[in-house]
Amino acid sequence: MLEAFEAETAELKAALEAQEDEKKKLAKALKKQARALKREGGSEEEIARLETEEDRLKDEAKILKEQARSLDETRDEPYEALVDAVKELFGPMPGQKKPVLIRQQYGQTRWDRTLVKLHEVMFEEEWDYSNPDAMGVLIEKPRIEKFRGTELEPFFQYLEEHIDDMMRPKTTFYWQFITDTSKDSHIFGGIWPEVLGTIYLTLGAMIFAIPMGVIAAIYLCEYAQEGRMVSFLRICISTLAGVPSIVFGLFGLAFFLNTIHISDSKSVLAGSLTLSLLILPTIIRSSEEAILAVPRAYKEAALGLGAGRWHTVMTVILPAALPGILTGVVISMGRAAGETAPIIFTAAVSVGAPLKIWETLNQPTPALPWNIYNLCTEHEAVDEIRHVQYGMVFTLVAIVLLLNLVAIMMRARISKKLRG
Amino acid sequence: MKKKILAMTAAAAVAASAGASDKIVIDGSTTVGPIAKAFAEYYMAANPDVNITVSESGSGNGAKAMMNANCEIAIMSRPMKQTEFKAAAEKGIQPVAHVVALDGLPLLVHPSNPVQDLTVEQVRKIYLGEISNWKEVGGPDKAIVTISRDTNSGTYETFAKLIMNKEKIGGKCEYVGSNGAIRQRVQSTPAAIGYAGLGFVDKTVKALKINGIYPSTETVQTGEYPVARPLFMYTDGYPRLGSPLYQFVTIHLTEDGQEMVEEIGFVPVTAY
Repeated sequence: MLEAFEAETAELKAALEAQEDEKKKLAKALKKQARALKREGGSEEEIARLETEEDRLKDEAKILKEQARSLDETRDEPYEALVDAVKELFGPMPGQKKPVLIRQQYGQTRWDRTLVKLHEVMFEEEWDYSNPDAMGVLIEKPRIEKFRGTELEPFFQYLEEHIDDMMRPKTTFYWQFITDTSKDSHIFGGIWPEVLGTIYLTLGAMIFAIPMGVIAAIYLCEYAQEGRMVSFLRICISTLAGVPSIVFGLFGLAFFLNTIHISDSKSVLAGSLTLSLLILPTIIRSSEEAILAVPRAYKEAALGLGAGRWHTVMTVILPAALPGILTGVVISMGRAAGETAPIIFTAAVSVGAPLKIWETLNQPTPALPWNIYNLCTEHEAVDEIRHVQYGMVFTLVAIVLLLNLVAIMMRARISKKLRG
Repeated sequence: MKKKILAMTAAAAVAASAGASDKIVIDGSTTVGPIAKAFAEYYMAANPDVNITVSESGSGNGAKAMMNANCEIAIMSRPMKQTEFKAAAEKGIQPVAHVVALDGLPLLVHPSNPVQDLTVEQVRKIYLGEISNWKEVGGPDKAIVTISRDTNSGTYETFAKLIMNKEKIGGKCEYVGSNGAIRQRVQSTPAAIGYAGLGFVDKTVKALKINGIYPSTETVQTGEYPVARPLFMYTDGYPRLGSPLYQFVTIHLTEDGQEMVEEIGFVPVTAY
């Protein structure tokens, strides 16, 4: 069929070229006539008529030439479209120059995308807009129709039958996904910078929030005189717990970065501080509850034995309250790991290398919650990298579970020791 | 003893300055984001001790981050405004523009939409709310869902300048925060129209001809396509020659840089 098509186009082209030549000849003859008339001093009207006629013929010749050229293009079109589709499936052909972007250096790396691209090789998509009152309808034309009778005809069947073998293995488990850095903005590679960033941010938030929270709770329970000031403080703490998290993000940007310049750009430090403010109320509240839940007899016994107030708090009350405090820590740690809004303006970026521990003081980091959002909204190749997004979500859930599990186990051990 | 302290402070200063040049923080446009990300990974692969971070929060935020000295490079899909220059200058920062690529602003519709061609005037009327049905521009009888970038984005500013003539977008326009989100909304809504950078056009959406010109590398490069703009990277002062910052903002002049710009879907400023 393609040969017939080719012969037909060649014929058409020849006809068009012949017509073009004829028009050109006519135009030339007209030009000669006009020149002769000018020399002999003929009527100007006649000369102008001849010249416009000449221009018209020239234009027509140009259009014919254009038509012949576009015929050439349409003849190659189906083949070039096929080459492009195959390139997307298998990557560049052997011997071709290696593209700079890694995403162009290989074919499909995932089975579901392979099937999508295979479909694109097998079928041509066309939209039928013939009904003006409705939206267009998708028509899928088997591409093979255009190559019937050519050497390429068996290619389609072969491809369909052997794609399984060509694209092995169908599924793999890739451990290094967690420990590799990403390549070509997440199209290949892993998510280590994000994992590490999340751990830094969570631990950083805990480092600031736990001491602040526990000390505040001890003060409120043991030292503060109940009065207006303390009840005002309590209202403040409850309000802080109800502030939307994005407000913390904006506060972190305005205060830590733009006012006190804690670092010269977004940084893990600024993000940790912002997160610690977010979880502070939870820690204060749960620590308070835990301290109040310690039986009064413990305290009275310690004081009765002559221990000072500070000594009593440190050696009797705090150890007894530890399981309760840890419960608050568990809850807030999960929250700190998963919060997105507070770190948008203070710590999170979409691309970056894994940080060394001292670099957390002045450098921003990718972090799982932000990058999950970023991949699905701002990445230009979002369909190609869904699996990375799913992988990140899974890892984040696993990290939160793991943190909680560790804390729960610690709590269980401590309370067992206390009872025993 | 004094000498020792001096030497130590000198060493500390050197270490600090080395530490400072070891990182490049990039913030700004979601349109230029893909170019910056590709350049960043390309550069980090060759220079592993330089940490480049990219965040995409919109051109306006990029400019703000530059003003507050929170980033080394502000990526922007529009030139910096007079007011932003002024605010930066008052804080002792002198933004210098580097044009890294050209970009068209294709109007995107669902591929099932039979409309192929609009004029600038028609697009303007659609976004003003004066044309509210596809029937009025030769399509089926369906209410138009207009989708725009948020007003903090450089893409929005370009659109407002080149199409809207600075008139306010009217009617029930939906604002979204990134180019990717525009594409997603258009993909899932057959009656939608939106606009995004050239690099975000793929098979799932259809780019319209504007005034009869299809947005492509050629028509943007020749200036035929009416909605086109340069993409910028701004630095504080011209970077010191040979510094990592200098190397980074000149990647687009290398052959590899041009290839990356082109493969992501934008138009290189130079063609060797």
